[in-house]
Amino acid sequence: MRILDKARLRLRSLFRRRKVEFELEAELAFHLDQLIEENIASGMTPEAARWAARRTIGGATQYKEECRDMRSVNFVEDFVRDVRHTIRSLAKSLGFTAVVVTTLALGFGVTTVIFTIVHGVLLRPLDYPKPDQLMYLTAESPVTGATGTALSAPEYLEFRQMNQSFADVGAYSTGGAAYTTGEVNLTAGDRPLRVRSISVDAPLLKALRIQPEHGRFFRDEETARWTGTLPPPIAMLSHELWRTGFGGRPIIGQKVEIEGRPHEIVGIMPPGADVMDHHTQIWLPLWLHPNAARQREAHVLYVVARRKDGASAEAAQAELSAFLENWGDRAGVTDHVPIKRPIRSIDHTLRLRTLQDAIVGNASRAIWVLQAAVGFVLLIVCANLTNLVMARAGSRSREFALRTSLGASRGRLLRQSITEGVVMAGAGGILGLWLANAGLKMLIRAYPTSIPRTSDLRIDLPVLLVVLAISTGTALLFGFLSLGRTRSGSLASALKDGARGVSSTLHDYTRRGLVIAQVAFAVMLVIGAGLLVQTVYNLTKIDAGFDRSRLVTFSMTMPMANSNPDTRAQAYQRILDRLRAIPGVLGTVAMSGLPPHRTPDAVATPIENHISEDGRPSEIVDYYQFVMGDYFRTMGIPIVTGRGFESTDNASQGKLAIVNETLARRIWKGQNPIGKRLRPPGASFGATDDAWHTVIGVAKDVRQQGLERQPGSELYLSLDQHRVSPPSMNVVMRTTLPPTSLSATIERVVSEVDASVPVVRLRDMDSVFAESIRRPRLLAQLLGAFATLALVLSAIGTYGVLSYMVTERRREIGIRIALGAVRSQVLTQIMKQGLQVTAAGIAIGLAGALALNRLISSMLFGIQPTDTVTIAFVIAVITVVAMVASWLPAWRASRVDPNIVLKNE
Amino acid sequence: MAKPTDLVQGTLDLLILKTISLEPKHGWAIAKRIQLVSQDALQIQQGSLYPALHRLEQQAWIEAEWRTTETGRMAKFYSLTPSGREQLEKELANWVRLSAAINVVVQEA
Repeated sequence: MRILDKARLRLRSLFRRRKVEFELEAELAFHLDQLIEENIASGMTPEAARWAARRTIGGATQYKEECRDMRSVNFVEDFVRDVRHTIRSLAKSLGFTAVVVTTLALGFGVTTVIFTIVHGVLLRPLDYPKPDQLMYLTAESPVTGATGTALSAPEYLEFRQMNQSFADVGAYSTGGAAYTTGEVNLTAGDRPLRVRSISVDAPLLKALRIQPEHGRFFRDEETARWTGTLPPPIAMLSHELWRTGFGGRPIIGQKVEIEGRPHEIVGIMPPGADVMDHHTQIWLPLWLHPNAARQREAHVLYVVARRKDGASAEAAQAELSAFLENWGDRAGVTDHVPIKRPIRSIDHTLRLRTLQDAIVGNASRAIWVLQAAVGFVLLIVCANLTNLVMARAGSRSREFALRTSLGASRGRLLRQSITEGVVMAGAGGILGLWLANAGLKMLIRAYPTSIPRTSDLRIDLPVLLVVLAISTGTALLFGFLSLGRTRSGSLASALKDGARGVSSTLHDYTRRGLVIAQVAFAVMLVIGAGLLVQTVYNLTKIDAGFDRSRLVTFSMTMPMANSNPDTRAQAYQRILDRLRAIPGVLGTVAMSGLPPHRTPDAVATPIENHISEDGRPSEIVDYYQFVMGDYFRTMGIPIVTGRGFESTDNASQGKLAIVNETLARRIWKGQNPIGKRLRPPGASFGATDDAWHTVIGVAKDVRQQGLERQPGSELYLSLDQHRVSPPSMNVVMRTTLPPTSLSATIERVVSEVDASVPVVRLRDMDSVFAESIRRPRLLAQLLGAFATLALVLSAIGTYGVLSYMVTERRREIGIRIALGAVRSQVLTQIMKQGLQVTAAGIAIGLAGALALNRLISSMLFGIQPTDTVTIAFVIAVITVVAMVASWLPAWRASRVDPNIVLKNE
Repeated sequence: MAKPTDLVQGTLDLLILKTISLEPKHGWAIAKRIQLVSQDALQIQQGSLYPALHRLEQQAWIEAEWRTTETGRMAKFYSLTPSGREQLEKELANWVRLSAAINVVVQEA
């Protein structure tokens, strides 16, 4: 009952405020009247009685305020009133409000974006049941430096049999046969689509524990049969492809053409289902050619395993380490098995890590660097706001003192200040979230593949909670800071000193300390950003080994079912011939792997009269490049010794090869490589036999697997000589025409030769290069943006503090000028103060940068973390910014008119 | 003159509750009654009285009603609610216990 009564009273006070207020007035008036009557009764004149009564009662306003405090609805009521008051007073100082809200919005915005990425990519578990049980098994070769490579089929099977720690072990392949790139041609309607495909075995789906949305999984007997016959023609579609490509209509049991062969759709995956961030659109049964399934050299399977309940990751790792000791003995083989301490280039070891770690991979360091950078920005934002609010509190101490004397309690003032904080933090928070949402969308659209797991990225509840917590913290900080100033000074002195407030050296120190901290953080950020910008510059300027100007490229894939290596070669030849005839095209060639960002082949290649260091007649060649046409001239790759392929070679019986400088140096150490012979396995490019190839030339090294990597050994074979072709080829045309104007012609030419061949990734070579350095570029751009923000905020901070100091010292400056001080002296003195603070900040920032930059050294290319030029440049930039920020207030100080200042006092 | 702050913490509430426990009274009458009964030892200032009344009203221990006084003016009369009566008994019991204890200490020490 009491609770209801209380609630009723509170609601009454809230909704009938005017009536309640009126009643309070009436009650107090009654009391006053009674007192006056009593005084008159005791013999005073009415006038004297009234005065006496008023004196006895004292300030009625104060009682009213107290009575209001008693009605606890005040909290709501005051809030409404405070918000109104706040908006009024903030509107009065629009500049201050704009700066605070903008600063907050930027701070919240960048924090939200980066925290969304950190949360969505690094922290949020994968979308599988019990995702922490999922592990990823890859081969590593410390000798060659290759990491994260696939396992061979025998290794996969052996691991499945030997392990005790895993409940399910499954495999997938993004290729399945050499040269395919995890994409297939899908004919839905009249236009061929190129879709992202993955080949999986049934245990993999069991290990991931994903259930199809419609239809069924592949059955055990349908996958990994590894017989000579092709896999069963069945497929599962991703939810997204089903929606976009087939309009979401019932399709289970129907047939679509994949690689020219009709496949039955047996299932639809749930939304977002994927493996290893592959952006899978179509799921096919895993199939290997029996030869590939037997070969230990054929590293084609990626392995995902789910730990048994209760089996720890450490136990699984320990078990794997124990296997590695005697893997060969267990499997009964001595050749090319994983051993614990690899000594030869073909030896490798196996590595287990969590699937999440494998997906996020090397992006995690970059993301943490960004998170740290944003942390710095946020600290600068806080320092800035603290300074701004402290300065404002100083100038408002008179207002607060006045209100205190009028009966406002300290609690009320604090509430008022916190309300201001809430209003501004709220506005900043909302604006920041809006900015973050827009920024995130822009980021994902601009860099669709630079960040892993982007399909999962959204501003969700945990992120909102963090932003809310930061906003609330800021609001409270605001409140206490605004009021903190009135505590230090007494009421009377605040009123007396007026706007100048209570000048306290402690506050000056705090303010200067905050500016020093801002500058220091800005220095660290700008140096970090400078190093990364230099890295990107170095990467773009790197010599990839060929002339990339005026090159246009696209890729084409022949459906496997209706073509064999011979007919493929003929079709490609026809396409190339027609492309060469286009006016404005200077040359057209085709190749198997497009530099500068292709995957390595690592093919064991027998070499005549040569024994490798570990006593074998073969050497691992990192890259096989199968080319068609006048390759070296069109690509602009210089021939160092000997000659390139010529059209007269095509008919000759003797097979020819060209090697790169690294291969020549590695194998024939100082001897003349021309005339030496090697024997590439014919099966690797569709030839029917292994033939000896004679080296006729040495080409300059071309960067193949990323610009920042040292070139590996590379072997060039001319497919024109073999009259065969792998199913996928990359075409490169040297032309003055832009790719946009060429695309219609190219598509027409290709479809005239074979309508089932889609033209994909048509772009110029500059875009290919830009794509290959997308991650360092993204990192540099984001860090650059943060550094700029930090710089601007620090400049605002420096400016704010100096101009506040100038305002406080106007009187002193006025007197000095009146006494004959030269204006330039005043100017110099104020600027000197600003620069002293900046210098301290730079010194601290440099120390911090030197300590921290080791962390980003692995992301740098062609530059040291202690690069003096960068550091000198950064110091120069910050000094210039600081000078500008100090000059304006100093100039204003020097313009002080002593007459006006002294008159005002 | 005794100031309200000299009252033992929370005693004012007890005094008010006790004073209106017999019949409803307006603020002025409450203050006068306390002053009279305490033989001028306790003078309740307006500044403490009205906030206390509002506090008690918010606690729903007392309720208010506008009535005409004997002089024909309108005034706000406060009376105890059932829960206020319970509260008064609780506070009285407390007070008896406390004052007895203080008495013992004052006389023995």
